[in-house]
Amino acid sequence: MSQSTTLPTAAAGTGEREFMLDVRTQDMEVNMGPQHPATHGVMRILIRADGEICTGAQPHLGYLHRCAEKIGENVEWLQYLPYTDRYDYLAAMNNNLGYSMAVEKLMGIEIPRRALMIRTICAELNRIGSHLVAFGTYGLDLGAITPFLYMFREREWMMALFEKICGARLTYSYIRIGGVFNDAPPGWLSEVERFCDTFEEKWQEYVDLLMVNHIFVQRTANIGVIPKAMALDFGLTGPMLRGSGVDWDLRRDMPYELYAEIWKSGCFQIPLGKGERGTLGDCWDRAYVRVMEMIESIKIVRWCLDSIAPGPVIAEIPKTLRVPAGEAYVGIENPRGELGHYVVSDGGKVAVRCRVRGPSFTNLAVLEELLPGALIADSIAIIGSTDIVVGETDR
Amino acid sequence: MEFRGILDRLRAIGAPGLLGHDEPRGADPADKKDKGRAGDPFVLVDPQRLPAFLEVCRDDERLAFDILIDLTAADPSKDDPNLWVLVHLLSLAYRQRLTVKCALSKAAATMPTSVTVHRGAQWHERECGEMFGITFAGHPDPRHILLPEDWLGFPLRKDYVFPDEYHGISCK
Repeated sequence: MSQSTTLPTAAAGTGEREFMLDVRTQDMEVNMGPQHPATHGVMRILIRADGEICTGAQPHLGYLHRCAEKIGENVEWLQYLPYTDRYDYLAAMNNNLGYSMAVEKLMGIEIPRRALMIRTICAELNRIGSHLVAFGTYGLDLGAITPFLYMFREREWMMALFEKICGARLTYSYIRIGGVFNDAPPGWLSEVERFCDTFEEKWQEYVDLLMVNHIFVQRTANIGVIPKAMALDFGLTGPMLRGSGVDWDLRRDMPYELYAEIWKSGCFQIPLGKGERGTLGDCWDRAYVRVMEMIESIKIVRWCLDSIAPGPVIAEIPKTLRVPAGEAYVGIENPRGELGHYVVSDGGKVAVRCRVRGPSFTNLAVLEELLPGALIADSIAIIGSTDIVVGETDR
Repeated sequence: MEFRGILDRLRAIGAPGLLGHDEPRGADPADKKDKGRAGDPFVLVDPQRLPAFLEVCRDDERLAFDILIDLTAADPSKDDPNLWVLVHLLSLAYRQRLTVKCALSKAAATMPTSVTVHRGAQWHERECGEMFGITFAGHPDPRHILLPEDWLGFPLRKDYVFPDEYHGISCK
């Protein structure tokens, strides 16, 4: 028996739009994934749907679980570094940095200034590369294929730069405990500068192509709104938090390494979601924060290029590390949010506990709240806007 | 506020379940075996009163620990009768962090859930449950999260024995 029904939309879903359903359908459970292009990896979301509207969502993780934390308790401190590359494989430099900083905090070693500069350059370039993938694939999810190809063009250059400095394109293990593996090869820094010049031009293309594109705005504005209180309650960090208008960035608010100095120089800003095209905290705002962050990262890289001076790039550390007994937590601003490493040492060669707090994991938890009430087509836009890397949620 | 300031505030408002604290220190010159402790300070809290403690930390206007960054556990050693449950809090307003540690008996690893205070704790508690065998009483969805539902044992406990096989697949 058909019956006309108006579904009130959930606050999280779709703003003021209402959907008219001429047929009241049965609840149906649909598997999205594990092999689905929009899940950005191997993840399954069990969606309960009434017609076109999600009434419930249950993410199932673990398909990429590789026991990183258990491995951390079984290999030596230095040997664990390559495993850090493999959780958020789009931002491996940042992962290396987070782990190295946690161990360095326990050891209390001082890092040479040139090493800090190169670390910052690499971490920020990697942030740009990571946001390029996030933004490019987001367009792809919503049906815009061309921007994706443009963004991979610039990312290719970024990866070539990393290949020149450390030999690897994706899993670098370049930032080491005590500094960086080796000095930048001759001409590398000037090539980074050329990259910055080119990127600034190209970046404008992305904004014109996608950010203000009418279809893109229609698909993302007012969709998947995360109010500020909900963002705090779920412990969201990074662009997910800033997209909701919360002014928080670890690089400015709890600065590590050189960021206090860089922030003081006034060269970069923290972009925030403003609800420019729709409601504050919608998918468009999150995409906007990522796009703007790329250009801020370029400014940080330029600051480093201007102030870098010759010197040693790694502190003297023994081949077999014995880390003083104790426990330390270090959180850094990864492209996806706060990457935390909590390490416990008993003074030996191997960690007692090596905890990784991946930002994707916590950011993903909000889906259970966001999807109910949204259209199935919008669920792709919502999942894409969380910018998860499944390697990190599953570790 | 530095750690001392946070601790004084916690004492002043009578934070529920606060048992003590620990700070990094240098080696004791009198005792050759003592190498000191490096790293971060933390407060010790009664695991059974952790949710109330977190709530006070969140709602007190001079602490304002409004984000639960991480909730995890650690098994310090095979011989230790206790597990540690660790909560890393972050205050946006005051730009400060706090590490909260609870000692939870391995024999009776049950404590109340913190989901009522921070919804972000939900997945972290599921992970602690499967990896360390901690039961969070009142948890709305206590399934496994990273491991298969039929996985036996708690992999991150120090006495965990690696399985020989899983559904006919050799693990050796």
